[in-house]
Amino acid sequence: MYAAVRINEIICIGCKKCIYACPDPNVLSFDEETRKVSADESRCKGCGLCVSECPKDAMSIY
Amino acid sequence: MRNLFQVSAAFEDIMPAEYKSLIENGPFGGDKGVTDLGTFKELLEEHPLCAGCGLALSLRLILASLPNPEHTIIVGSTGCSALAFPQAAVHNIHSLFGNQNAVASGLKRALSLRFPDVVKDVVVIAGDGATADIGLDMVMHSWFRQERITTIMLDNEAYANTGGQESGMSQEGAVLNMAPKGKNFSKISVPELAWASGCAYVAAVTPANPRKLQSAVRRGILAARETGSSYIQVYSPCPTNYKFKPNQTIEKVKSREKDGTYQVREYISDEAQLLFDRLEEVKNG
Repeated sequence: MYAAVRINEIICIGCKKCIYACPDPNVLSFDEETRKVSADESRCKGCGLCVSECPKDAMSIY
Repeated sequence: MRNLFQVSAAFEDIMPAEYKSLIENGPFGGDKGVTDLGTFKELLEEHPLCAGCGLALSLRLILASLPNPEHTIIVGSTGCSALAFPQAAVHNIHSLFGNQNAVASGLKRALSLRFPDVVKDVVVIAGDGATADIGLDMVMHSWFRQERITTIMLDNEAYANTGGQESGMSQEGAVLNMAPKGKNFSKISVPELAWASGCAYVAAVTPANPRKLQSAVRRGILAARETGSSYIQVYSPCPTNYKFKPNQTIEKVKSREKDGTYQVREYISDEAQLLFDRLEEVKNG
């Protein structure tokens, strides 16, 4: 794995802006119950579009 | 609708997990849209397009906006988008470079003869090279003939797949790998061209506003079903050829919208407007 996104689930407010910004399908998924976003790191290409869209700085590329 | 797609019992243990989840949790038969993204299995699967690709983002949003994915046939053409279609779970055809609207016209006519009782949407999704340069004659003649198809252009302002040549949709002065002196001519106004050619619905949108993009795609497809041709242009910047960081794609879209070099706009014919009003009334009861 070269670069992938990591989400801080404590800060995430579930606004889904990252999901609308991600160019790759099925990377970010939204849990209806917890109202949080989670990531499938094996599908992530590490472009960082979600990081630049996140209003709460809950995401980072490592 | 879900019984259209089923895994045969004998193959259940060897079918890929992605295929199964597409059947169990896919957008077929439901009323899924871009606002539901992240909660269902998308029609697009892992694709080989670059990190931060604006075109991939637009394509993902377009596929999520399709009102009737199980009865939609996409006609693609050569270009970056053609690399993603083998991974899309929608019927799709790869046509010769520039031929996409001619192929789609024939397909739509054949489908309306073969399935007169079923609504089949034929959607052309091609790049700016295929739509505005190489296939402009086929595209414009399909509009002149009022073919019932939706043409969607993924406008990345270059021939991105072949190393970065200028296209008709590149802005004046755009410097690319294979246009080092900058482009000498201005960007073609295809939405105005489409409107003048008699399209019932024309829109220019961006992936920075997914809801607007969804409404444009749905309106385009509905107008194509009932009235005539429709055209939608989606600005999808290319980080690889325009040399910006992959995480700046959406910023780039917003800055172009802000300085007025890419204007989001919509043209609706009277007939199409009546149709949308009628559908809105039915929806609201």
